[in-house]
Amino acid sequence: MIRHATGALLMLAPAVAPVAATAQTAQGDLSVTIYNGGRSLVSDTRSTVLTAGRQKVEFPDVSAQIEPATVTLAGEGIGIVEQNFDFDLLTPAKLMEKAVGQTVTIVRSNPATGAETRETAKVLAANGGVVLQIGNRIEVLRDDGLPVRVIFDKVPENLRARPTLSVTVESRTAGTRPLSLSYLTGGLGWNADYVALYDRSAGRIDMQGWITLTNNTGTTFTNADTLLVAGQTSAARNQTRTIARPGTQTAPRERLGDFYLYPLPQRTTIANAQTKQVSFLDVSGAPARTAYQYRSGSLNGSDAFGSATTILKFSTARDAGLGDALPAGTVRVYMRDQRGAAQFVGENSIGHTPMGSDLSVATGSAFDIKVRAVAASREKVSDTKARTTMRYTLTNASPEPVTVDLIQSGLGWIATEVRILSESLPSERPSVNEARWAVPVPANGEAEVVAVFETRG
Amino acid sequence: MLALLPLILQAATPVIVTSAAPEQVAVTVYRDPERAADVPLDLGWLGGRALVTETRTIDLPAGPAQIRFEGVADGIVPVSAIVTGLPGGTVETNRDARLLSPAGLVDGSLGRIVHLRRTDPVTGKVKEEDARIVAGPAGGIVLKTVDGILALGCSGLSETPTYDGVPQGLSARPTLSIVTTSPQAVRATIRLSYLADEFDWQADYIARVGEDGRTLDLFAWATLANGNATSFRDAETMAVAGKPEAVEPPRAQDAPDPAVSLQCWPAGRTHEIPEWMPVPPPPLPPPPTAPPAPAFDGDIIVTAQRRQEKLQDVPIAVLVAAQENLGDLKLYRIPEPVTVAANSQKQVAFLTKRGVPFQTIHALLVQPAPADEEPTPQDADILLRLHNREKDGLGLPMPSGRVAVMAPRGDRDLSVGEGRLPDTAVGQEVNLPVAKSAQVQGLLIAEGRGVWRYEVSNANPYPVTVEAVIGFPQDQLRGALRRMERRNGLPLWQVTVPANGRQALSFRTKDKD
Repeated sequence: MIRHATGALLMLAPAVAPVAATAQTAQGDLSVTIYNGGRSLVSDTRSTVLTAGRQKVEFPDVSAQIEPATVTLAGEGIGIVEQNFDFDLLTPAKLMEKAVGQTVTIVRSNPATGAETRETAKVLAANGGVVLQIGNRIEVLRDDGLPVRVIFDKVPENLRARPTLSVTVESRTAGTRPLSLSYLTGGLGWNADYVALYDRSAGRIDMQGWITLTNNTGTTFTNADTLLVAGQTSAARNQTRTIARPGTQTAPRERLGDFYLYPLPQRTTIANAQTKQVSFLDVSGAPARTAYQYRSGSLNGSDAFGSATTILKFSTARDAGLGDALPAGTVRVYMRDQRGAAQFVGENSIGHTPMGSDLSVATGSAFDIKVRAVAASREKVSDTKARTTMRYTLTNASPEPVTVDLIQSGLGWIATEVRILSESLPSERPSVNEARWAVPVPANGEAEVVAVFETRG
Repeated sequence: MLALLPLILQAATPVIVTSAAPEQVAVTVYRDPERAADVPLDLGWLGGRALVTETRTIDLPAGPAQIRFEGVADGIVPVSAIVTGLPGGTVETNRDARLLSPAGLVDGSLGRIVHLRRTDPVTGKVKEEDARIVAGPAGGIVLKTVDGILALGCSGLSETPTYDGVPQGLSARPTLSIVTTSPQAVRATIRLSYLADEFDWQADYIARVGEDGRTLDLFAWATLANGNATSFRDAETMAVAGKPEAVEPPRAQDAPDPAVSLQCWPAGRTHEIPEWMPVPPPPLPPPPTAPPAPAFDGDIIVTAQRRQEKLQDVPIAVLVAAQENLGDLKLYRIPEPVTVAANSQKQVAFLTKRGVPFQTIHALLVQPAPADEEPTPQDADILLRLHNREKDGLGLPMPSGRVAVMAPRGDRDLSVGEGRLPDTAVGQEVNLPVAKSAQVQGLLIAEGRGVWRYEVSNANPYPVTVEAVIGFPQDQLRGALRRMERRNGLPLWQVTVPANGRQALSFRTKDKD
């Protein structure tokens, strides 16, 4: 039986305020849209007190990886004069650098008595060491190595403890109103992680899908309304080699153009340096089967037996499948051992997979199923023609009969033509470069395929 | 062991429930797929993995709760964590890497009041004043006191901030936690499973040649290694042979740098006017310590060529891991719980077979010497040939690993070779090169254009079975060579060379076009 949970994400909880990672934040009503590629759109509506006229409004606690060129600010009755992104970090060295030409207070401690004396000093320079003018004297700060405290009057402007966006706005009226700020940031991305429990004897899988968010922006996003967008919003190549045949069905989920949307049903705090997972898919009892494949890369063969690859085949179709589109991620496959405990048997990554696709996920090498491809003989027929006899030996040490997809590739060079003159089992030629045999191998037995190739050119 | 620390913080936040340790744990170790069979385990750098399945009991309150799991392996792959058995399901799973550290304290206290403590170096008098952290920890720490703005650690005084409490969200280790909502207060038994890095295992075979010289006693250890700082007590322990596919996991979020480096303004002084300073040479390595003089016990070892050591007979194993099939992989289960300790390795027997018949083959490859070199005799490879079949005394899946071959000499065992075994399924033939023989050599002599004579000599006082593969290009073979039995597509000359004798093969090849 196939049970489906689609549409809304699977979350059973009523509104829960998540644990705030930092108690205080200047962030307002946050909504975050996260794309696969690690680039996200943050919009932050903050209640701001404005006076009438021109003024500077500061927005601390924006992402440290903000792309300042993408910032937009909107609010009732305001016009933007200019905006600055200050990421000049407040440090002791910067503090001193900005104090050049200004006066500071120095407090000397007498090393013998501990008595303190205060003086006012003017900072002349901070190059390699700090040069001070005290009255008519010029001296280098702590040149004698004795303790001296330097006290500054204020923190210089534009030096920040946290990256801060500041915008100069022109406001028509005074008063408190919501300003909505939005920007793109790097460092916040997501992918999917799938847990597939495979029951080989029943030919079924149970599949759970998790959205995995990672935040390394340097900033915690507090209590954010979160929406995930699946798809490549840049032209980067989607990894699709696990898709045997792309599907043509539309998944029952919210879409935006060609992209699927995965809204989280409740607000969440995405802390800095955090990996967060929420469930989005839970399907049980979808049909699945095991297939085996062995690929011989060239007509030179090899003298050693190699293991066939174990491939898990299943579908994302509405009928007899998972019935959903799968965002790119990692599929981890588990099987039950003799005591019924789930054991890990391999993992692989999948690309964005439309609903209705046939998937072939390679999970590992089969211990008991081995193949050897040997070039048994090679003769020159003429100056341009050669004949190669390939002998493929397939062994199966398992108690079940299996069928191995035996693939000979390397047949389609640009200037050569390879024909199969004779073969002990009919092949199909999925492409000019490959010949494929579906070889039945009996339980605890062996099979052999012999094929003669003629290479011309 | 179980500690439950329900802590009610604020009405709006979920209750934090800490699960200190599992009651039951199962560990399944997977081999590093990149490590060759003959490369030894390096405890400091383990490339395999383990699936850890833990059973924990927790007391859940009604309503939202955050369960923090302590005592998980530090090599956890957080995205692989699965929790089952919660009555309210999992709302979200988090792994937080913000650590309680000097930098974490400053970062978490930014903008808050701390206490600045100064100790007078002369009188030892301690003065404390309140200070607000204005900036830090990157690039140094700036504080604000009633006096004004100052930088921490730049005055030459002994000063340190002290804090009233640990800022929220900081933990001693990266912490895995889940948020769940339970319909009612309940004691739940849950199962947490995850993959963890820094594990590995390997098979090590000891093959002891029997007195008759025709059978082997085979013994194999499964060596399991755990490079995590976490121990798994009384764990149901398994190892998986075969090669599961592995994806490079997205790196776990690196914790922000935990150390604070108190940077100040430039602090050059007059007497430090920089001159060109030659880089001091690194200190010389200490002189090599002479090896301790061997205790002279009457035996004089003349040659170091062959290790001679006394070994017991093939060990008798009381605890033998049982093998079962897991999909297309092989699972070895240690039949009783064992402790997989932190940063350690453990060995359990998984195979013992006595009297496995084998053949010794001397293998040679016949290839012409390069044109500008004198033909030189080649040493033969000594192969042990076994058939992994039940009727040949074996018939067990054999995971890849090193094989040490021992032969008895009187009351001691000698090492006669070492080889590496690939993953070997039942029914496969095993050809194990274990050593080279200088007693059996092959020499190819060019007697004319395309006329060759291959001679095999045997200096042993017993006959040997020689298999020589004619390694000439396929299209140069002619006459008798074409009709020979083939191995891997090449002609194979099989011959028994008598004791202290020779055998020769004459053949012709076609010239290259």
